[in-house]
Parts: sequence; structure tokens; C-alpha cells
Amino acid sequence: MTTTSTGAPNAAPMRRWLPLVSLLMLAVVLIALPQLLNPFWTGRVTSWIPLAIVALGLNLLTGYNGQISVGHGALFGVGAYATALIINDWKWPYLAAIVASAVICFVAGIFVGLPALRIKGLYLALVTLAVATLFPQIIEQFSDTTGGSTGLGITAKELNSRGVLTDRSIRFTAPEWSGQADDQWRYYLFLIVAVVCFLLVRNLVHSRAGRSIIAIRDNEVAAEVSGVNVAAAKVFTFAISAALAGVGGALFALYNTRVSSGSFTLLLSLNILVAVVIGGTPSIIGPAIGAVFLNVFTDVITPELPENVKSITPLILGALLVVLMLVAPGGIVGLYRQVSAWLVSRRATAPDPIPPTP
Amino acid sequence: MTEFLRFFFIGLGNGAIYAMLGLGLVVIYRSTGLLNFAQGEMAMFTTFIVWMLADAGLPLWLALLGGMAAGFVIGAIVHQVIVRPVGDPQQKPLAVVIVTIGMFLGFNALAKLFWGSDDKTLLNLFGRSSVSILGTDVAWQKLGALAVLGIEALVFWLLFQRTKVGLAMRSVASNPESSALCGIPVTRILMIGWGLAAAIGAIAGTFTAPIGALSSNLMQLPLIYAFAAITLGGFDSFIGAIVGGLLVGVLTDVVPRYVSIFEKMSLAPAFLLILVVLLVRPEGIFGQKKVSRV
Repeated sequence: MTTTSTGAPNAAPMRRWLPLVSLLMLAVVLIALPQLLNPFWTGRVTSWIPLAIVALGLNLLTGYNGQISVGHGALFGVGAYATALIINDWKWPYLAAIVASAVICFVAGIFVGLPALRIKGLYLALVTLAVATLFPQIIEQFSDTTGGSTGLGITAKELNSRGVLTDRSIRFTAPEWSGQADDQWRYYLFLIVAVVCFLLVRNLVHSRAGRSIIAIRDNEVAAEVSGVNVAAAKVFTFAISAALAGVGGALFALYNTRVSSGSFTLLLSLNILVAVVIGGTPSIIGPAIGAVFLNVFTDVITPELPENVKSITPLILGALLVVLMLVAPGGIVGLYRQVSAWLVSRRATAPDPIPPTP
Repeated sequence: MTEFLRFFFIGLGNGAIYAMLGLGLVVIYRSTGLLNFAQGEMAMFTTFIVWMLADAGLPLWLALLGGMAAGFVIGAIVHQVIVRPVGDPQQKPLAVVIVTIGMFLGFNALAKLFWGSDDKTLLNLFGRSSVSILGTDVAWQKLGALAVLGIEALVFWLLFQRTKVGLAMRSVASNPESSALCGIPVTRILMIGWGLAAAIGAIAGTFTAPIGALSSNLMQLPLIYAFAAITLGGFDSFIGAIVGGLLVGVLTDVVPRYVSIFEKMSLAPAFLLILVVLLVRPEGIFGQKKVSRV
């Protein structure tokens, strides 16, 4: 845009510095948060991180690649159960369990992604919706392993006060040198995992593979003609997206120290989609914003409401989805982009502040 | 054998419900080209209206008619206010999926808001007695569901083949632009389609509620079965919805009794059906093959 650079000399630097400054501010806030909040709220905020990661995965698939999934709750569930079983049966360290869950979900993603090559758009949404509805039934069917609706506690052997080995729910213990309380330590661990996931997706999207992924969304035939291996790229995107869902699920399991079929219903899948849409697609930071927005609604506002109007929250979220699709399909991030583009263009077209000398 | 027959008849009765819900889905698919993921929740909502009217002392039959009328209005409004502004579902599938899911959440929440989250009971339309067929007891309610499905099919056939409105609906389904040029009020016709779909949802819901209890989750499983039915029958085929519905009903009630791995996974056969049909024969048994041009 030539008008932007000539008309407003300070607009270009502002646009260059603004993202960096806001990123720095975000980092400061995220690091300072557990120091400012009490343990209860630190825990609450920690529990929002898994949703942000699975939403990141869905955003990669839907926002960047154009494949619709209404079934990411099921993949999230696979990650959660994988972590629970690995820690219970094999006593792996948490980080290894998270990585293993990601790998398992990556493979699951390939198996879901392959049929998705033939089933597209609305019909893919239908199949994944059926997967999301079926998932709790699968957990019930194999309740010998999964614990069904009663649930499966994630435990570790520990010496109790009388020196006897007993099963206790897993917990996060902050090491001496960190000087942090246990809940703060857990928050930082979760945050690091999330930051790694977000950086990975950011780099992927800006790479050669990322451009193929986006090209497929915009025009599959044109991408194919340009030499993109469409089938491989789509299955790969599905697998990465599933792996991120697996990481989210793993953190969910570690946070709750318990998994049960009631946590992975259709509603979870719908909520993931809500977070993605409200946050904004396609965007890296959008899913995180959406996840925080959704959780502020369900965790902070809803408990304050009287019992008989509690279901006003899903009503507002549902209405918000419809309204957003009609007026701002880009979600919160899209709105921000629109507003900032408008501000820049207004600056650019503003009359010259120095009156011309006669 | 009698045991098999018992499950077979239960399956047929439930299949009639899936077929009714499926008919609504087909009406909407044919008129606006979208898969309405909120169809089940709209049916649940209108069933609550039926319950409310019955609770106020109306006979169940009249309450059902009242619920259908309310459903017609709701469906027409939903099309006018929400669905039409979003645009073409084949061009923007994501927007349409998200809007129908927004409606899903909205109707579910509204039902809880209006009628609370306690379960309600709705009585059988055809009483609790049963009749002996081929040595097994079959509930009148199941036979009634089949009969009502038959009436619905007849009404649909008459409406689409023998009336001006039906002709206009078929014409709009096949080519909206040409229809508009012929002077057909396309928007009003689409509104009628949505109204019709929501109205017959009330019937499906009224037959579903007495099986368990009336809650806001009432139609979530039946919706998947109904989708399996129309996937099998073909998304744009009325006869497909009926045949598919009955087949899915029998399949999901009989298979889990004999195959132990499906014991608690009654949805699994329906899911496999959706997956396999979409992979192997996306147009279903009776559907029209889609040709895409590049």
C-alpha cells in the first residue's frame, strides 16, 4: 500500500512495533499471573490451558486447512486416557506420558485423516459429530480398562505417614530451588508445554508446509496443480492437529488426576469449536483468546449466577456463534484486525496537519 | 427366534422415529442444501412445548398438534433470521456448521432455561397395552409410530406431488434461480420447508420422550441415528429416509444384543454405516449422484 507509507510516516513503524510490544506484555502477564493470584485462581487458570492447546490444534485443521472437525473432544479424550493408563501402568514421568499421548493421537489422526480425504465439508462435520457422540459409549464399553463413568484415578505409589506404600493421586511437587508453591510450579509447567505447542504451530504455518496447508484451504485444485501433495498435506495436518488435541488431553488428565466418560461428551467437542470460532480463525493466538473467553464465561461468570438462570451461559455462547458468523466471521482476532486496519487507513487518509504555506 | 422378533419389532418402532427425524433433515437438505445439526434440538424444544400443553390439561393429540404449529413458526423464523443470511452451504460449509451448532447450544440452553433441568414424563400416544404378533408381544406404541410414519409419508407424497406449494418446493430444490424467474417466492417456499421440518420434529420427539424421559438431551442420540438413516438412504431422498430409518432402527436394536462388543455401543453400528456409505457410495441407496465440475 503506497498510500499508507507516504501518507502516514509513523504508521509503518507502529505496525512493526505493536505486535512485539504486545507479545512482550503478554509474556510478562503470563509469567506474573501465579504470583498475583491466590492458589485457587492459579489452579483455575491452569485448568484453562488444555482447552487452549486443543483449540490450537483444531484451528490449524479448520482455520488454516479448511477441514471441519466437530470431534476433537474424542481425540482430546484419547490423549487423556493414554496419559492416565501410561502413568498408572508403566509409571512413566509426566513429560514422557505427554509426548507418548501426542504420538498416539498423531497416529489416531492419520486414521481419521485418511477417510477425510474422501469425505469433505458438511459430511466430514457429520462423521466427526458421530465420533464425538460415540466416544463416551466406547469408554463405557471398555470400562474394565477405562473405569467407565465411575472414572479412573491417576495414582502413584507413595509412602504414607506410617511408612506404608499406598496409592495416592498424583500431584505436582515444586523442587526446592524454584522457590515456588506446588500450584505455581504446575502452572509454569503447563505454560511451558503450551508455549512450545504455540511456537511449533506458528513456525509450521510460516513454513513451506504451512503455505501448502493454506493453499489447499483456498483452492484444492489450484494447490494440486501447483505441485502440492494434497493428500499427504491434509493427512499430515489432521495428524498434527490430533497430536495437539492429545497434548491438551494429557494436561487435562494430569490436572484433574482422574478421567471419566462424562468429561468427554459431545458438549466438550462443541466447546472446543466455540473457543476456536470466538477466538478467531485463522490465527495463532486466537484459540488461546477463545479458550480464555469461554472459560471466563463458564468458570468465572456462571458460578455467580442463580441456579435457575445458569443455562443462560450456553445460550449466550450459542447466540454469539450465530452473530459472529453473520457479522464477524474472523472472531475476536478478526475484529481486532478490522479495527486496526481501519485505524491505519484513517491515519493514512487524515488531512496533513501542517497547513500549506501560501 | 421370538427374542429376535421382539428386538426386531422394537427396532422397527424406533426406526420409525429415526425416519421421521430423517424426513425433516431431508426436507431441509433438499430446500437449503445443508445438514441441520440443530434438527434434534429443535425437535426436543417443540416436544417440550407438547409436554407443556399436555401438562396444562390438553389431550396429548391436541398438544402434539399445538407443538407442531409452534414448531412450524420456529422453523420458519430460524430460516429467516439465522440460516438465510449465512449464505450458500456448499460454498461456506464451515459457517453453516458453526451456525447450526450455535443453534444446537441455543435451543438446548433455552429448553433448560424455560423448563428447568429436571426430567419430565410424557405419556405414550398409543397407551401401554400390546398385541401378540407371530408369538411375541408388540407394544401398540411401536405400531402407532409406524402408522404415523405411514401417514407422514402419504402427506408428504400428496404435498409434493399434488399441490402447487409442493411443486414450487421441488422446483426451488432443483434450481432456485430459475424458480425465482418463474415468479416463485423462493424465500417463502424455503421458510415453509424449514417450518415443515421443525413441525414433524415434534412428532419424532413425542414418540421418543416416553421411551426414557423428556430432558434437554432427548434427541442427541436419535439425531445421529437419523443422520445414519439419511446417509444410507440418500441425503435428498424421502423414500431413502424412511427405508434408511427403519433399517437403522432394526440394526441398532438387534446387533448390540447379539454382538457383545457393541453391547454398550449402540451408536457404533450407526457410525460405521455413516462412514462406510460416505466412503463407498456417498449418494446412498436412493440419492442423486452429485457431479462436481472443476
